[in-house]
Amino acid sequence: MRAAWHNVRVMARRDFLATVRRKAYIFTALGIPAYFGFMMFLTAAPQVNERLRALKSLTAVGVVDSSGLFAQAERTIRTEIGDENPFDSKRTPRRLTTTVVFYGTADEALAALRAKNVAQVLVIPPDYLETGRLQRYARSSSLFSSAERSPLRQWLSRSLLAPYASADRVERAVRPTQRLEDFALNPRTDRFEVKDDAREVADFLVPFGLAMLLATGIIIGGQYLLQGLAEERESRILESLLCAVTPDELLWGKLIGLGAAGLLLVGFWTAMGTGLAGPILALVHPSPLLVVSAGLYFLLGYLFYASILTGVGSVAGSVREAIQISGIFTFLNFVPFILLMTILAQPNGTVAVTLSMIPFTAATTMMLRMVSPSSAVPAWQLGLSLAILAGCAWLVLKGSARVFRTGLLLYGKRPNLPEIVRWIRSA
Amino acid sequence: MLEVQNVTKRYDGRAVVNRVSFSVQPGEIFALLGPNGAGKTTLIRMITDIIRPDRGTIRVNGAPNAGPRRPNIAYLPEERGLYKRARVVDAIALYGELKGMSAAAARAAALALLRRVELEEWALKQVQALSKGMQQKVQFCTALIGGPQIIILDEPFTGLDPVNTQLLEEMLDERRRQGTTVLLSTHQISKVEELCDRALMINHGHMVLYGTVRDIRRSYSEDAVVVRCAADLSQAPGVARVQQVDGQQRVYFGEGGSAQRLMAWLGERDVEVESFARDAMPLEDIFVKVVREGIGLDRGESAREPAGAAATAGAPA
Repeated sequence: MRAAWHNVRVMARRDFLATVRRKAYIFTALGIPAYFGFMMFLTAAPQVNERLRALKSLTAVGVVDSSGLFAQAERTIRTEIGDENPFDSKRTPRRLTTTVVFYGTADEALAALRAKNVAQVLVIPPDYLETGRLQRYARSSSLFSSAERSPLRQWLSRSLLAPYASADRVERAVRPTQRLEDFALNPRTDRFEVKDDAREVADFLVPFGLAMLLATGIIIGGQYLLQGLAEERESRILESLLCAVTPDELLWGKLIGLGAAGLLLVGFWTAMGTGLAGPILALVHPSPLLVVSAGLYFLLGYLFYASILTGVGSVAGSVREAIQISGIFTFLNFVPFILLMTILAQPNGTVAVTLSMIPFTAATTMMLRMVSPSSAVPAWQLGLSLAILAGCAWLVLKGSARVFRTGLLLYGKRPNLPEIVRWIRSA
Repeated sequence: MLEVQNVTKRYDGRAVVNRVSFSVQPGEIFALLGPNGAGKTTLIRMITDIIRPDRGTIRVNGAPNAGPRRPNIAYLPEERGLYKRARVVDAIALYGELKGMSAAAARAAALALLRRVELEEWALKQVQALSKGMQQKVQFCTALIGGPQIIILDEPFTGLDPVNTQLLEEMLDERRRQGTTVLLSTHQISKVEELCDRALMINHGHMVLYGTVRDIRRSYSEDAVVVRCAADLSQAPGVARVQQVDGQQRVYFGEGGSAQRLMAWLGERDVEVESFARDAMPLEDIFVKVVREGIGLDRGESAREPAGAAATAGAPA
């Protein structure tokens, strides 16, 4: 492909500036993180709030003890809450106190419940010890009412064990893994590292986030290219433009300019994410290999997808048609997210390794594998995956450039598959 | 100088352009005529190196039009388009930069052109804010920027009012005087008669007319003159018949008759002559006649040779 660098640079700058100055671009840059943030808030906040609300409302519990096992039980339940956010560095637990009120009969207790004197009623039948059967009554039931069971469970355990063991033993029996520290072998460093709640969340979120950024960046860059190309065809600008630049110069200018626009978007989101999710990212120390690999996978993945979409944009009859066809390829890029749990659970399993070698899924899958804590991707797999992706990207680019050259000036006519194959062979 | 030699382009086995040859000199406005689907656009795309001919050569000032050192050719296609969201000055400057100018020089040249077409105050507006006629003038500027050696204009005056049409004609004339070669493709035949020195007409990919506009018109005219005078010209020697047309007499010559002999006869009688002109068929009528009657197609690649024409259609130089 012969291309004058001057013209490539001029076209790249034009496409880059035209794209990043669009309101839609600025909206995408700010709107997508805001949308995801809002959706997460909308999903997570009610859960946390409902859980807290349920616990806070548990100020008094009515107990009807027909078993006689709880006659000496404590009349207050102290509950610690504050572990809901594992990234809360202060970790200042709040204590809630619940009063236990004993009633002689279930009717009395339920009347108190109706009168809102107690929040719940626990009916303990005579054969509780043998059968474990209990009845819990509440004025209402919500999706998150199971949160209220934890204080009751601990009270039952403490009360049953209190006559037979010291307070320390009782506490340990009730919460045997309260201060458990998990250690796991990091295959990359060959050292045992702490696996706490925060780390576990980070281990999931960081690979997911990075792979999502990579996949989204690749697709957005490709979509800009597809859209720009289809718009230029529709606006009939190509005819006069091709008098001043060759199709190769035009194609390379677009690939570079719009790829840069996509990269800028990913960079912006990364910076934004780093600022917002600092505590999570502080747990991960990205290696130089990971950073270089992420860059290479972005470039090659973008080149591969953008080349395919260039071909699509060159033969599609309209912007709408081009976007419809490109949807198939966009879906393939996101296939690893459908198999996310399989890949993260077995980063060196057959599924993960196979997807790493397929150009459509290689970039996203390999990012998931490389950042996954339980994986050390063998060097040969990384090299082979990059080589296959680079080779396929080059082949698709060459084929697309031929389709691009021939299909650019076909207005209002969509070529069939044999025609496209003939263009690729003969151009 | 543009030299097109024996150029052929086939699509699906059908010759869309068939052995077309012609040349255009620097400082000449040359008309490329033909009905819709004749192969004009394909020929222009080959000249601009958007597509390559299957056979034949195209040279600009002796050098091939394709390759790493492409000549500076500007093209204003009939299906026009500009980047709608770009600022007007940027839309023009882009073409300047693509023709090798620096960003600053291209911007300055774009502003100068906008001044010339009286759109300077629109320089920083988006292209889509302009009217269709204004956009056409901007597109015209994109063709002129960067000092092209050859300007190819496909229907440049469509949709323009008479004032702007005249403005563009003046600008074309300026370029012509500076030595720029202009190739004009239009169905406004009156513009061809007004602006062009020579013309080429193609039909079904074949050259069917080629030569100076005057010679083409003469070649399709009968041996007659149109005279405005008081005398009865049917009495003149060598006159076969006289037809009255709009107060003028169209004189058809018979055996021994000629324009010179008629002028001498009028002079001898001291007749006051208001006008005396050789009867020439309007180019538009010739266009219709050639297309309807398929003239030139039966000769394959060669075209009708106009009497006294400067060049022979279809014959490679």
